Amino acid sequence: MPHQCTSCGRTFPDGSKEMLSGCPDCGGNKFQFRPKGFSEDDGPSPSEPEAQPPESETQSSSQSSSQGSSPQPTSRQSPDEVNDTATAPDSDTGPTAAEDAPRSASEPADSKRTDPRSSKTERVSERTDEDAAQASARSDVVSPDELDQASRDVDEDPTREPADAEASDADRPDIGDLREELNEQFESIRIVSPGKYELNLMELYDRQEYIISLQEDGRYVIEMPDAWGISEE
Amino acid sequence: MGLLTNLRDSISRVTDGLFAADDPKRIGIYGPPNAGKTTLANRIARDWTGDAVGPESHIPHETRRARRKENVEIERNGRTVTIDIVDTPGVTTKVDYKEFLDHDMEKEDAVRRSREATEGVAEAMHWLREDVDGVIYVLDATNDPFTQVNTMLIGIIESQDLPALILANKTDLPEADVQQIANAFPQHETIPLSALEGDNMDEVYTKIAEYFG
Repeated sequence: MPHQCTSCGRTFPDGSKEMLSGCPDCGGNKFQFRPKGFSEDDGPSPSEPEAQPPESETQSSSQSSSQGSSPQPTSRQSPDEVNDTATAPDSDTGPTAAEDAPRSASEPADSKRTDPRSSKTERVSERTDEDAAQASARSDVVSPDELDQASRDVDEDPTREPADAEASDADRPDIGDLREELNEQFESIRIVSPGKYELNLMELYDRQEYIISLQEDGRYVIEMPDAWGISEE
Repeated sequence: MGLLTNLRDSISRVTDGLFAADDPKRIGIYGPPNAGKTTLANRIARDWTGDAVGPESHIPHETRRARRKENVEIERNGRTVTIDIVDTPGVTTKVDYKEFLDHDMEKEDAVRRSREATEGVAEAMHWLREDVDGVIYVLDATNDPFTQVNTMLIGIIESQDLPALILANKTDLPEADVQQIANAFPQHETIPLSALEGDNMDEVYTKIAEYFG
C-alpha cells in the first residue's frame, strides 16, 4: 500500500481520499509513502518520515558520515548501494539495486531503471544524473543525530513565539487602536458594555443579512440571505 | 379563450396600475425614538380599521420590533388607497440601559430593553433596505431635527428614491417648532400634526394618498 499512517500503521491505496482528512482510525495526519514491494514487516516508524522532508542537501555530507553509526537506517536499507546507483546510473549496479529494492525507500526509481522492458527506462536513467548531495537528500535516511537536531529546531519555535507575543503585549495600545479602527470599519453593532450599544447605521443598512438577536457574550445570531436562497431552491 | 384571458389579464394589470388597489404599498414609519411613530400608526390604524398597531409609551424604545398593519384602506377624494403600515423601532446610534432606569425600571429589565431596542434598530434598518415602498418620517417638533440619525436616514431614503413624507409631530406641545423641521429638510414637504390629539390628520391622509397611492 502506497501510504501508511505513521501513528497507527494503517495503510491506504494510492489516491485514497480517506486520508485527506486524517487517519480515520487514529486521527493522525502524517503519512509515509510506501511503494509496492516495500517490506511490510518494517512497520511504521513514526520519527523517521517526519525528519526526512526537512533534510536538506547541506546536511547530506554529515549524514553520509553518520550513516554507518546509525543502526536503524542500515537495518532498513543499504545506503552505499543507493548512493552508488544514484551517482552511477549506467553502471552494472542496477540488478544489485533491484535485488535490494524491496527494502529500499528509493525503490520506484531503481526498479524502473532496472526494468529493461520499460519505455521510461532510458529517460529515468538520464534524469538520475544528479550530484551526490541531491541523491543522498532524496534517498538516504536521516540519522538519529539529525533527528535530535531537527526536533530541537522544532522545539525552539514555540519558545520564540512567546517572545513575539510578549513584544506584541508591549505594543498593546497599538493593538487597541487597531481594534478600535477595525470596529469602526466593520462592526455594525458595538457592545460597549452589557446594555450599552453603539450602532453603525450605515453598516446595518448596507449589510445583507438580518440580525435576529444579540447575545450577552457579544455574539449575535444572524440570518444569512444565502441561506434563504438555498432553502428556496 | 386564451386570447380573451390574456386580454382580461392585461386590462386588470392596467387598472391595477391606475388604482393600485390589489398591490398595497408598504409604508414604513421611521424616525428617532419617542417621536410618536407608534401613536401615529395607531391613529391611522384606528381611523381606518378600528384596530391598534401596538402599545404607546413615553418611555423610549417601547417599540422594539417592527409591527405591521396590513391592508389599511384610506379614502380620499372618492379614491381608496390601500397601504401596509410598518411601525418601526426608533432609530438611534446609541442605546444605553441607563436612560431606562429613570423610568422606574430594574437594571435587569433596562439591560434587556436596551438589547431588544438595539435589535429593533437593526431590524428597522433592514426593513428600510429590503421591504419598504415609501416612508413616513416622523419627527418630534419640539426637538432639534439636525441630528446625525435624521440626516443619515433621510439621505438613505433619498438615495433609494423612496417617496417620503416628513411629519412634524407633537404640535399640541407649546414648544413645538414646525418651521425648524421644514428648514432642516427643505427638499421635502413637512406636514405638522399631533398624532396624540388627532390634529391635522386630514391633511396627513390626503398627503398619504397623494404620495403613496
